[in-house]
Amino acid sequence: MMLSHGSEGGYELAHVLLEGLKFRYQRTIVHRLDPRVKLLLTLTLFVIALMSSNIYDEALTFTAILIPASLAKSIRRLLRLLVYSLAFSAFIFIINYIFTHSLFSSSIVTVRFLGIVASTSMFFMTTSPDEVEYVLRWFRLPRDFVFAFATSIRFVPVLMMDLTQIIDAQKSRGLELDKGGPIKRIRNLVPVLIPLVVNALVRSSELAEAMEARGYGATEKPTSMYSLKMTKVDYLAVAIILTAAALLLSLFLHVV
Amino acid sequence: MAVIEFKDVSHVMPNGIMALSNVNLKIESGEVLAIVGSNGAGKTTLLKHMNGLLKPSSGSVFVFGSETKGKSVAELSRHVGLVFQNSDHQIFSESVFEEIAFGLRNFGFAGEELYNKIISTLRWFDLYDLKDRPPMTLSGGEKKRLCIATVIAWNPEVLVLDEPTVGQDYPNKVRLFALIKSLIGEGRTVVIVSHDLEFLWPLSPRTVVMANGRILTEGSAESIFMDEELLNSAGLRQPQLAQLAMRLNLRSPFSSLDDAVTWFRGRI
Repeated sequence: MMLSHGSEGGYELAHVLLEGLKFRYQRTIVHRLDPRVKLLLTLTLFVIALMSSNIYDEALTFTAILIPASLAKSIRRLLRLLVYSLAFSAFIFIINYIFTHSLFSSSIVTVRFLGIVASTSMFFMTTSPDEVEYVLRWFRLPRDFVFAFATSIRFVPVLMMDLTQIIDAQKSRGLELDKGGPIKRIRNLVPVLIPLVVNALVRSSELAEAMEARGYGATEKPTSMYSLKMTKVDYLAVAIILTAAALLLSLFLHVV
Repeated sequence: MAVIEFKDVSHVMPNGIMALSNVNLKIESGEVLAIVGSNGAGKTTLLKHMNGLLKPSSGSVFVFGSETKGKSVAELSRHVGLVFQNSDHQIFSESVFEEIAFGLRNFGFAGEELYNKIISTLRWFDLYDLKDRPPMTLSGGEKKRLCIATVIAWNPEVLVLDEPTVGQDYPNKVRLFALIKSLIGEGRTVVIVSHDLEFLWPLSPRTVVMANGRILTEGSAESIFMDEELLNSAGLRQPQLAQLAMRLNLRSPFSSLDDAVTWFRGRI
């Protein structure tokens, strides 16, 4: 697994989940789409995943998710993320079964959850933090909010690196993360989480100072280097997405 | 006896990058070994194999004669103490005292023995007066000293230091040097990874030069540090005392500034 060679057990899970949300630059047709189109794609897939209510719907939903995922050459990452979401899916399944006593509807809810995970992570896997920032700005959200949100995504890989190094350092001091009962295991997290949080806080205050030193907040409306522009491919993609969505939803709702 | 031995060790990172290729290295008991090379040469990856944080993709690593495969990091760390570069990545306790206690407790020390070990470590590292301070409030030099102390506390036979001089000012470096020197004096095996050749030079360690995941060459400090071409090819700069000796066409470099001064006085 990525980056997890220095950690073990539960930490691998955290790594893979973060890895699933981490952007990696690839030259594919999906990655090159306008970020607004990618957002539309994700939201559409999300709605489709949410609306599916039987086995055929689910099959169609996953086909709909896998087509753009394969175009983005991200199927393996997506599947890996789903495999690691299974633990939480099992939880959802059990809770549902307790309340509904129906294996069928519990399965549908669980698969729906996986569809939601897959559709949402599609956006973060194919959209760079910069592009996320442009989209949020395009929606005219407050600048501080946009900056904070984009920065938090941008720092996911940095935090992962910190986490690996901290775990390595504490294991070298004899910390055994996977030993002991449940209480001991939670206590084992203290030597890992404290340095992680402290370092994140120190880094964020340093970042704030460095930003201010470079004039952040000096003007109300800073100019932007890039502006989002839709190309022919983007319009085509929007058309395909909307048509496919209309088709699928009408199938789901038995309109046709 | 070799305390640590690398046999044809290669390590492939999960992203497919070959971090170590075909490394063979023997570290003898009681010796001082320096591993030098530019950033990304594979030094830290090599270190992480010494206490089992990483296991070789192919080949084997032996620590005190037994292979690291199948051994936990905790088992190996009992004998090979590794101090990482960034002190802030390991400090978490509410006091210096507790920070030192952490490793000792992990290795099963308790009661009076635990207390005595902490106190003697605090004294040895001149941290006794700081024992109740939160370690996060210490200065950079004090933090570094504390991090080495937390490891030396359980008395591992081998001490491995990753870039100990990074971020240390001159007085702290001098202090760190004296500290390492006295740890060596105790007969401990010490491995130092650094690209600070000026710092390493007076320790006259056996030196291993790494580049691109390979060991380019190894030899005595003198032979390595006088080889300007070799150092340049590994992205390193010769220590000034070695440079001076080379410019003067001397066969052996000056061991210290005083040594150089004596030589010049003899000429005037």
